[in-house]
Amino acid sequence: MITVFIEPDNETMTFVRLNTVLMLQRRLGLRVNDALVIRGEELLTPDCQLKDGDQIRVRKVMSTG
Amino acid sequence: MKCRKCKAPAEVSLPSHNTAFCRECFSIYFTRQVEKAIRHHSLIKYGERVLVALSGGKDSLGLMLELSRLEYDVTGLHVDLGIPVSSPAARAKVEGFCERHGLKLHVVELAKHGLPIPDVKQYINRPVCSACGKIKRHWFNRVALEGGFQVLATGHNLDDEVARLFANTLRWDAGYLSDQGPCLEAESGFARKIKPLYRLTEFETACYAFINGIEIHTAPCPYSSGASFTGHKQLWANLEYTSPGTKIAFYDGFLKRGRPAFALVDQETGAPLAPCETCASPTSTGVCGVCRLGITVAERRAADPGRQPGPGKD
Repeated sequence: MITVFIEPDNETMTFVRLNTVLMLQRRLGLRVNDALVIRGEELLTPDCQLKDGDQIRVRKVMSTG
Repeated sequence: MKCRKCKAPAEVSLPSHNTAFCRECFSIYFTRQVEKAIRHHSLIKYGERVLVALSGGKDSLGLMLELSRLEYDVTGLHVDLGIPVSSPAARAKVEGFCERHGLKLHVVELAKHGLPIPDVKQYINRPVCSACGKIKRHWFNRVALEGGFQVLATGHNLDDEVARLFANTLRWDAGYLSDQGPCLEAESGFARKIKPLYRLTEFETACYAFINGIEIHTAPCPYSSGASFTGHKQLWANLEYTSPGTKIAFYDGFLKRGRPAFALVDQETGAPLAPCETCASPTSTGVCGVCRLGITVAERRAADPGRQPGPGKD
């Protein structure tokens, strides 16, 4: 299972089958540069593989005022 | 995905540039974009004092850090809007950032000047984002001039600039279209205003903030929901996704071919400016817009029975 924490919404989601960051972005309805995808202290590019047990932070970048 | 420059594993993918970078090479790329903006538009000369407007977000704090690393003489300015919960949180991020990096900071508290934004929202019958922007710009300029700063820098990025240009174009607002750009020269009581991040997207400034460990204020303003600006950004994000590079092409094209034409129109129609009778800020209306807002808020607050001092109230 992959756990995803979404900022600034402060929402947590879990996914069973996700192979890559791109798949995660598509599942969340995000375009490639809509959000930072972070694992630990590392930024992930869309082609990065995700694995079971990953804790991922998705930080949306669009400022709204 | 590999870094285009050093072939190490990439951390930042940039479809607009058809490239990707590791974090070290991305930092070099980021610095070069800022230097290019400064050089091409003569934004700052070494030795000039630069006031940097700091909201607590990724753009302004990233700009402050980058300009300080480029060894410009920078001082931060934070305008505390007086919004419960939101403003103390933003101010804490700004103060913590400046302390950590040993950077100078000046804070203006709108409540001390009779214009906390909650009162503006309550007593002024116009969109609060518009009034808030006007008040912030007023204080940015006023502190710059009164403090002897030659330059006022803001963290507007490419997405901000494109969204604003798009909004101005939808209205064919010749006044705004005549002077939108990365540099607005000092004149008639205004400090020189610059936007050194105009070549970088929100995604890029967010990457820079993350890579440099900048703690940012991320909560959206509680009053900004439904702002048209956000809708325009979404629209442009879709365009950029289908045609990478569209944003910078649109903006650069405007600077080269659009703005000069609108500047000619505005020369013929722009109203003359004189110092405000109350605060000496430049205005075309005798008393400037922010002083008029202050007077209206004070009058309506005084007439509001819910705000009268009394037992149990401060």
